[in-house]
Amino acid sequence: MNSGMESPKGIWWKPAHRNEKLWVGIAFAWCMVLFAMMPLWHLRGGQNPSGIRGKVEPQAFMARTQEFIRAYQVGTESGIPVVEPPPGSDIYLMAMMWSWQPVLRLRKGAEYTLHLSSLDLNHGFSLAPVNLNFQVVPGYDYGLRVTPTAAGDFRIICNEFCGIGHHLMLGRVIVLDDQAPGAGAGGGGQ
Amino acid sequence: MAMHGVPPGVTNPPAPLPPDAGASPETHKATGTLVLVLVFLAAFVVYYFINWKLLSDVWRVG
Amino acid sequence: MTRFRICPTTGLKVDPQADALIKANAVVATVALLIGGVSAIMVLLTRWQAVHLLPADWFYRLLTVHGMNMLIFFILFFEMAVLYFAGAVLLNSRVAAPKVGWAAFGLMVAGMGMIEWTMFTGQADVLFTSYVPLRATSWYYLGVILFAVGALVVTVLFFATLAVAKRERTYQGSMPLVTFGAATAAIIAVITLGHGAAIYIPTYLWSLGLMKVDPEVYRMVWWGLGHSSQQINVAAMVSVWYLLGALTVGSVVVNEKISRTAFVLYVLFISMASAHHLLVDPGFSPSWKIWNTSYAMYLAVLASMIHGFTVPAGIEMGQRLRGFTKGMFDWLRRAPWGDPGFSSLIFSIVVFGFVGGITGVTFGTEQINIIAHNTLRVPGHFHATVVSGTAMAFMGVTYYVIPLIFRKRLAFYPLARIQPYLFATGMLIFSVAMTFAGTFGVPRRHWDITFANAPFDLEFSPAVSLVMGIMGLGGILAAVGGGIYILVTVWSVFLGKPLKERTV
Repeated sequence: MNSGMESPKGIWWKPAHRNEKLWVGIAFAWCMVLFAMMPLWHLRGGQNPSGIRGKVEPQAFMARTQEFIRAYQVGTESGIPVVEPPPGSDIYLMAMMWSWQPVLRLRKGAEYTLHLSSLDLNHGFSLAPVNLNFQVVPGYDYGLRVTPTAAGDFRIICNEFCGIGHHLMLGRVIVLDDQAPGAGAGGGGQ
Repeated sequence: MAMHGVPPGVTNPPAPLPPDAGASPETHKATGTLVLVLVFLAAFVVYYFINWKLLSDVWRVG
Repeated sequence: MTRFRICPTTGLKVDPQADALIKANAVVATVALLIGGVSAIMVLLTRWQAVHLLPADWFYRLLTVHGMNMLIFFILFFEMAVLYFAGAVLLNSRVAAPKVGWAAFGLMVAGMGMIEWTMFTGQADVLFTSYVPLRATSWYYLGVILFAVGALVVTVLFFATLAVAKRERTYQGSMPLVTFGAATAAIIAVITLGHGAAIYIPTYLWSLGLMKVDPEVYRMVWWGLGHSSQQINVAAMVSVWYLLGALTVGSVVVNEKISRTAFVLYVLFISMASAHHLLVDPGFSPSWKIWNTSYAMYLAVLASMIHGFTVPAGIEMGQRLRGFTKGMFDWLRRAPWGDPGFSSLIFSIVVFGFVGGITGVTFGTEQINIIAHNTLRVPGHFHATVVSGTAMAFMGVTYYVIPLIFRKRLAFYPLARIQPYLFATGMLIFSVAMTFAGTFGVPRRHWDITFANAPFDLEFSPAVSLVMGIMGLGGILAAVGGGIYILVTVWSVFLGKPLKERTV
């Protein structure tokens, strides 16, 4: 037998021995499992990055988000509007250097279509501490159908470098219990 | 003969093998390696499915 | 008329031009490693919040410097050296057109110089990925284009050398497996550099205001370059595994057909995996994501799992055939663990496979990526693959390149022997710690996770500071290991005792 530095002698296209065949077979079977899991999760799992995807001009997205804010604003926090949209509705979150707007007040167990886009550069939507992460690209509307599964006071970190203020970019999502009282109780400033 | 500051493979290259080495099935064994790769596969399976579990705990999204 | 020298260890006929080109590329690779390494330490001591060394602008700047120097300059210059070795030296051949090789080397050095200058002067604070619409000075993109053209020329020269070797019958039969592996790396390099041209030329023009570049299209084409370049590293690393196995313990090729087919699987499918960078992007459908991220049903992962078996099996069989037949693991226990080439080889295989491979394939899954994208899990993964895997293997083979090509003794040899242990342990701790931090949602490429001065407050779980501290310690240990490597290699090359032909 030769080493990898030497030219093999004669015909090297030879059948494999039992050890090799066994491992290649096992490895191949595992690869099939890896492949099958993805379509399977689309059918049976609760988390998929499909979303409703489309293109949108940043100015148009900004206008749509401002309309959304006007319709459902309940207060302001740290200078950022707070909105409380009805369950089941389309909600809008715009990323820009260097903030996430608006602050969202959502209901646990309700489904929303969360439209993500950027007004300028790439940003990274990272919901903490849940650890839900999506890319936010200018010119693209990522409409993710989300259902908060727990009540709480969450943050949105930006995890795609977007310039010198990148680490200051922090948003907020408040999820109310389904039993909590209705809208109007806006948060104070910080 | 070993020499300072030179890895052994340079001064004492591995002994050459006879031309018929490894031809018969008894010498064509790698049972140690097979055990190691099966340990690797086990680690892979465990880590992989732990991650599906972690994923299933986050918000529903689609 | 080429006057070859005969290698006393391997008996190979070596073209002095091959020697010279290998040396030049290896030296520049080491310079890049030093720049990348110093910036690594400074970035590390900044992400370790207790220290928080650099101000924000320099953090992002040196992070860019670190990425470019490690992933592009160090690795590609080293791979050029590997191509000259696998093409000319292993085949007893002359380099096809040495002057072209030198011109290409000059182009790559010029490109590197331009890029370093734009980065250090703060005109390219865009990070390694330079995602449009983040904008650097046009000179940055031009530097990248020049560098890429140089690398492409060396790659083509490698193929020309293979043709020359075949025509001049400098070897019998098929080329050795190591050369075959290097050839697959070279083919992937052509695919990579093609994507590079497709993205950097338009982006260069965009930076001059001459055309538009869609940000999502940029991401897609860039990762066609970015991920494929990592697959050059995989193919090159695996080739070096076979080479180191042969040099250190006389490992055998268990089955040439299987190993070569596995390399071919890399060529056919590996570039599809670039899609795993786009799994949570709005621009692509689920079916596109699933098909591509799986490298068409994981066939390239199969290739890695095959090499993960054949490389150690070749070591085991080589050892067993030389008498190490006791029990199941005597062949491993009694292997030359004091040989830094051997220890580097083993650590490279183990950390690449167990940490790098497993984490990467896992969160390269369309849905699992949701809990991993842009978190610290990502650098945790790639420091286990490209650093503990590829760089480790390259460091290990350097310990043989210095006596065999530079014809020098290794300085500080006792330090060289422990270097792989320090580096591998440090990197292992570092990568695993980052992976843990990332599962808590800690972001990558981020200057301040205490969010001082942000509009809201955020406190990560207390486990995060512990894990980030461990990451800091692991990184420092790895930096010590990296520093020893640079000390040993630079000293040996410039001040080391020459190896006389007749004493070996």
